[in-house]
Amino acid sequence: MERITDFVTDYIQREYTLPADTDLMALNYVDTGYVDSLGFVQFIALIEDEFGIQFSDDEIESDDIKVVGRLIAMVEAHLAG
Amino acid sequence: MKSKIADAFYRHATLTPDKEAIICDGKAMTYGELADFVSRLSHLLLSCGATYGDHIAIPMNNSIESVALFVSAADLGLCLVPLNASMPYEAVKAAMQAADAKHLIARSSFLRDCARYGHRVTEGFTLCLDTDFEGAVPFSRIDEMPATRPDGPEVDGGETYILTLTSGSTGSPKPIDLSQDNKLNRIMAHQRVYAISEADRILAATPLYHSLAERLVLMPLVLGATCVLLPRFTPQLWIDCARSLKATFTIAVSAQLAQILDVVKQWQIPPIASFRAIVSSSALLEQDVKLELTRLLPCEFHEMYGTSETSTATSICFQQEPSKRDSVGRAFDGAAIAILDDEGRECAPYTVGEIAVASPLRCKGYYKLPALMDEATTRGFFRTGDLGSVDADGYLYFAGRKKELIITGAVNVYPADIDTVVARMEGIAECAAFSFPDHRLGEVVALAVVTKPGTVFQKRRIQTYCARHLADFQQPHKIFRVDALPRNAMGKLRRNDILPLVREAAID
Repeated sequence: MERITDFVTDYIQREYTLPADTDLMALNYVDTGYVDSLGFVQFIALIEDEFGIQFSDDEIESDDIKVVGRLIAMVEAHLAG
Repeated sequence: MKSKIADAFYRHATLTPDKEAIICDGKAMTYGELADFVSRLSHLLLSCGATYGDHIAIPMNNSIESVALFVSAADLGLCLVPLNASMPYEAVKAAMQAADAKHLIARSSFLRDCARYGHRVTEGFTLCLDTDFEGAVPFSRIDEMPATRPDGPEVDGGETYILTLTSGSTGSPKPIDLSQDNKLNRIMAHQRVYAISEADRILAATPLYHSLAERLVLMPLVLGATCVLLPRFTPQLWIDCARSLKATFTIAVSAQLAQILDVVKQWQIPPIASFRAIVSSSALLEQDVKLELTRLLPCEFHEMYGTSETSTATSICFQQEPSKRDSVGRAFDGAAIAILDDEGRECAPYTVGEIAVASPLRCKGYYKLPALMDEATTRGFFRTGDLGSVDADGYLYFAGRKKELIITGAVNVYPADIDTVVARMEGIAECAAFSFPDHRLGEVVALAVVTKPGTVFQKRRIQTYCARHLADFQQPHKIFRVDALPRNAMGKLRRNDILPLVREAAID
């Protein structure tokens, strides 16, 4: 869990430090612009490569994958599965 | 002589120290506060060893620190090399070498990426913006610096001030060389054409490593107006920021405006009343989008055409010239437009040819590549690589691109850069990136690959390789396997024929 969280937060904060009061797990990193439409494709491919998993097309198109906490849960589910 | 850009800024700081200079990401600074910050930053750079004429690379975000750096660099006669933070290490290294970058200012995540390769990226100092990093000077040392303007060097204005990295058709970096005089002349030309005054609140919402946003943040500081800098772009953030901070002027890229319009229609958001004028740049807006935008944003609506090399070349006000609504306008302040045929002869009105621009706002050239600029110039006119025609009244009509370029979300992507990287993969016989239409971004990058016999086509493997070796804006959003790439009788790739090929065959 910690490794996934670190990987995700490191990428999201590549350009901007998240405000201290951010509820990280509830953060929609696409709606808040931390990862834009162009970066999203790269971000997902990097997560898949880092953790040796493959998201389904439905998962990639879902709103859940854009929220940090739900994304982490999805990665964990793949690793457990 | 001191820097004219820095002098103008410090003059406003003396005359109107309590006026809002900049607002970004919930933080605001008055002219007095920003002047103190710029001075401290200049002292920090000097204490690190920066000297007149040095080149500093920076993966740049939209922040007050980045804006202060532009003023500070001007005052000290330094050159900035702004980079996209998502560029992979190899591209960063190539860009820094091409731009002779001696020093580096970056965030820790970028420095960690570089450290992974075990190379020293610069011969000079490294400044880390967000935390302590081994071997780097922490930015927090700025607090120890004096808030008085340093007695900087003589700056004549002709020095290289900003090197904007673009890519040539060969995939190697092609830095566009802009002097302080270039930047200042561009600011003053836009001030004249769009009647910008110190009362304006100018919204900058594109990345600061592009020349458009650089102009939009330097313009208010030179003119004594207020800069509203959007840290990251989403349509909702743009609308909220423009409304709450009462923006009066902006130059937006057309892909942004189309996305903003989508959100406004979906949520039935009321018009934003503060704008006095909005300029759309980068690509043509469709007529219905323009009409709807003028209802949402009830102000003067302009469209412009230009290139990074020449700055704005034409401009038109949508409401003032209703009979010319398909045009991107007439020659901008001091510029001249010519339409050239393949032999470099000027075309008659209404004949499509290559758009060429002569302008006093033209850049110094391509850094250390004078032959490239000479090749692109005919009788003093820069050949843009775009196609168009002019009518009998001198209005320019854009007709497409001659050069191979994909523009995704207003970012220029050179397909050759992607071809070169993907071709290195095992099992790929040949490949070609091409433009694929997209409602939100205008175009996205697509990739056609031919695999070697006996190789299984694995889309995911290509995606992962691209994620590791290309910048975010270069990522292929669609990947197609084809039996062969379309080529002409001479074997030259016909990139424009790939899209119909994959569509016709319904390949995915």
